[in-house]
Amino acid sequence: MKTIIEPFRIKSVEPIRMTTREEREDILRHADFNLFRIHADDVLIDLLTDSGTGAMSSLQWAGIMKGDESYAGAKSWYALEESVRELTGFTQILPTHQGRASERILFELVGGPGLVVPNNSHFDTTRANIEHSGATAVDLLIAEGHDPRSRHPFKGNLDVAALERLIAERGRDAIPLVMITVTNNSGGGQPVSLENIRAVRAVCDRHGLPLFLDACRFAENAWFVKQREPGHAARPVREIVREMFDLCDGATISAKKDGLVNIGGLLLLRDPELVRRADELLILTEGFLTYGGLAGRDLEAMAQGFREVVDEDYLHYRIRSTEYLGERLLRAGIQIVEPPGGHAIYVDALAFAPHIPREQFPGQALVVALYRHAGIRACEIGSVMFGKGGKTPAMELVRLAIPRRVYTQSHIDYVIEAAEEVYANRASLRGLAIVEEPPSLRHFTARFREV
Amino acid sequence: MPSHRSWAEPWKVKMVEHLRMTTREERERVIAEAGFNTFLLPSQFVYIDLLTDSGTSAMSDRQWAGMMQGDEAYAGSMNYYHLEKAVHTYYGYKHLIPTHQGRGAEHILSQLCIKAGQVVPGNMYFTTTKVHQELAGGRFADVIVDEAHDPASEFPFKGNVDLAKLERLIRERGATNIAYLSLETNVNMAGGQPCSMENIQATCALCHQHGIPVYLDATRAVENAYFIREREQGYENKSLAEILREICDQTDGCTMSAKKDALVNIGGFLAVNDDALAEKARNMVVIYEGLHTYGGLAGRDMEAMAIGIQESVQLDHMHARIGQVEYLGHKLIDAGIPIVHPIGGHGIFLDAAKFLPHIPREEFPSQALAAALYVDSGVRAMERGAVSAGRDHDTGKNIFPALELVRLTIPRRVYTQAHMDVTAESVIALYQHRDKIVGLNFTHEPEYLRFFQARFAPVRGGRVLLD
Repeated sequence: MKTIIEPFRIKSVEPIRMTTREEREDILRHADFNLFRIHADDVLIDLLTDSGTGAMSSLQWAGIMKGDESYAGAKSWYALEESVRELTGFTQILPTHQGRASERILFELVGGPGLVVPNNSHFDTTRANIEHSGATAVDLLIAEGHDPRSRHPFKGNLDVAALERLIAERGRDAIPLVMITVTNNSGGGQPVSLENIRAVRAVCDRHGLPLFLDACRFAENAWFVKQREPGHAARPVREIVREMFDLCDGATISAKKDGLVNIGGLLLLRDPELVRRADELLILTEGFLTYGGLAGRDLEAMAQGFREVVDEDYLHYRIRSTEYLGERLLRAGIQIVEPPGGHAIYVDALAFAPHIPREQFPGQALVVALYRHAGIRACEIGSVMFGKGGKTPAMELVRLAIPRRVYTQSHIDYVIEAAEEVYANRASLRGLAIVEEPPSLRHFTARFREV
Repeated sequence: MPSHRSWAEPWKVKMVEHLRMTTREERERVIAEAGFNTFLLPSQFVYIDLLTDSGTSAMSDRQWAGMMQGDEAYAGSMNYYHLEKAVHTYYGYKHLIPTHQGRGAEHILSQLCIKAGQVVPGNMYFTTTKVHQELAGGRFADVIVDEAHDPASEFPFKGNVDLAKLERLIRERGATNIAYLSLETNVNMAGGQPCSMENIQATCALCHQHGIPVYLDATRAVENAYFIREREQGYENKSLAEILREICDQTDGCTMSAKKDALVNIGGFLAVNDDALAEKARNMVVIYEGLHTYGGLAGRDMEAMAIGIQESVQLDHMHARIGQVEYLGHKLIDAGIPIVHPIGGHGIFLDAAKFLPHIPREEFPSQALAAALYVDSGVRAMERGAVSAGRDHDTGKNIFPALELVRLTIPRRVYTQAHMDVTAESVIALYQHRDKIVGLNFTHEPEYLRFFQARFAPVRGGRVLLD
């Protein structure tokens, strides 16, 4: 059998509101051409992010009903603790309301002026939290990771030689920890090989540096390892996941991705002194240690989500459906980051709209065109997100993120058709100028006008 | 008029959650394992959980229906607009910034509005609020009326700001050295005691005359509105919604833990009128909490909050809510138990210093009483005395506040009259055998907010409640 079906059927649906092109034209102007500013109700297919937008299972909803809302020592907390311990082997588990809170606590403790935090590629909130502490966030992605056409199987890998050089230049004391993001979101949802994590671990060991994972999409990464890395084809995904976590000293996790929930995060630690200080910050800014700013029901849904996400039938369907969208866009001549990533397809906006100069945000122009034409909401990952202060990121991408278990093949076919039509009329795409922007994370709230 | 009616609940039970019974032997073991700190008890060993009214309420069928309509879009969720409308209608502020819970809003307000060295006056401290103010470089200054510190005083508005104290502070420190006034409704640490509308008006007028903004801690503002309606002349015929708006309209913004009045298990917000401040808060909420249209909450939680706000201002609801608290309070008063008078909005506060005169303050009578209550009946209460007050920021010495209390906090719409009876019976039985309760010493003391994670041991023997 060639066809891969979803290993589930639908139990509850949410109606989608249709809009006309004229309506969307109005909506765009009203939102100052920033798709983060439009009402979700005005979106037909929402590919803005795969974060917190997944559909929960009936078992997770049952957990929602079972939530123990006790302020301290809730049963739902112990259920989550057990599920995460089984999955990761970590015993020091701090619940947070979402991933950026885990990052904030971690970097408030280990960050600070003069320090450098290397990563394969930092994601936007990670970078913001590191910079907020006064430290510098450095990306050390392998060269293939910057080439949209390279078919390297692990384009998320960290450049181990560059890490060695950074340590030699800055000294180990300037580096509080080394981070690896799995999969590499800002670089196209590309996986990191186990071999690479082991190699980074070895460097860290030699210099006495802690290694942390940004483990939002740990299960998708493990699936790629199983598929692509020699020697792992026969291993259960659960075992690969466990090895990834065994190799590190801590992890930040936004459970809104591979935790299959709408809200929630985790900070995993080993160092008892760090745990003690993190506990105090957690209580102050998130919530008590046994709920971390979440309802009891959300802890319960997470506990179940972390069990479901390592189901191999699910991962097979998940990665294959992303790949399907990627293959079809490539076939239509649209350049995407190859090979297709785990949670999203990243369209190369420079190749799509070469007539728009980078200072006029070709990625944002494509995002606007997709919405205008078909009501599809995508996300710019380029100069708007990362280009503040005159910096130019290596790639100018538009991310079509696929929420987990939400859209069917006919939704995806609609997206393909829309992309093909926009591509056919690509000469009509118009650049944008920023009218107003905040001091950090400008992509969320900036206002634009068409040039 | 309502006082002549029964406080019978204006709802019936739609879904139940099973409780587990425990034996005294089991409870003795569990409290010792928890370091005699009720915060560290696993909830499965708790029979009646009166630790807090925060996030522990039962939602209505309408709120659960709203949960199913959660729009989990990352940006522009429909539920955000529903919440914005509810906050605008009932609280009246211009800008809404949702946060995952109240302390998220306090964090942002403190970071944005306090400059190092500034003073933040308030009508009594609250634990997390005070730490956020200190971390932002500010110092808290208490300007509550003296009656608040006297558990026996029957003054009807013990949450009031002492205007003379506030004026003196402004004169001594200068208005520019005051970041803002933090005005708490139904003051928690004073025993859930309200402010009068007259006092709120006078306080806001005084502050604004000096250019000092007033930010409301609106966590229990609706309960406060109920007391104004019951006790203050001219408000007996007004709706709770009208009174709530009148409170909010005088202030410049609020922080809100929606886990109390608004009947949800998670959620909070910051609401302000100032456009520039709102803009700054939106830029900050993205870093700490989540995009400004979800603030770190699932869409469904914003929907439940929007509906909960509407339910919270219904008079019948609040009549039953306060009626239940008063029912427990009167049972204890009739039995001669020393509690904070008058009976507050969200719980009964036992006067532990008077309850256990044989235990010196240094041996934390409130902590001991809360632990003993758990051993006796499986009722979980919370210490609100010297352990919660922490150490003086400058001298490092234990602060011994005037009030040494144990809070029996009543979750909204969760427990029945029979649960209240069991609680009263246990407190009364302990009072009759109060000489059997033993004081406690710290064995582990965290630096911030120590009451959450501190561990203790009885000063002699291994037990907090002797046979």
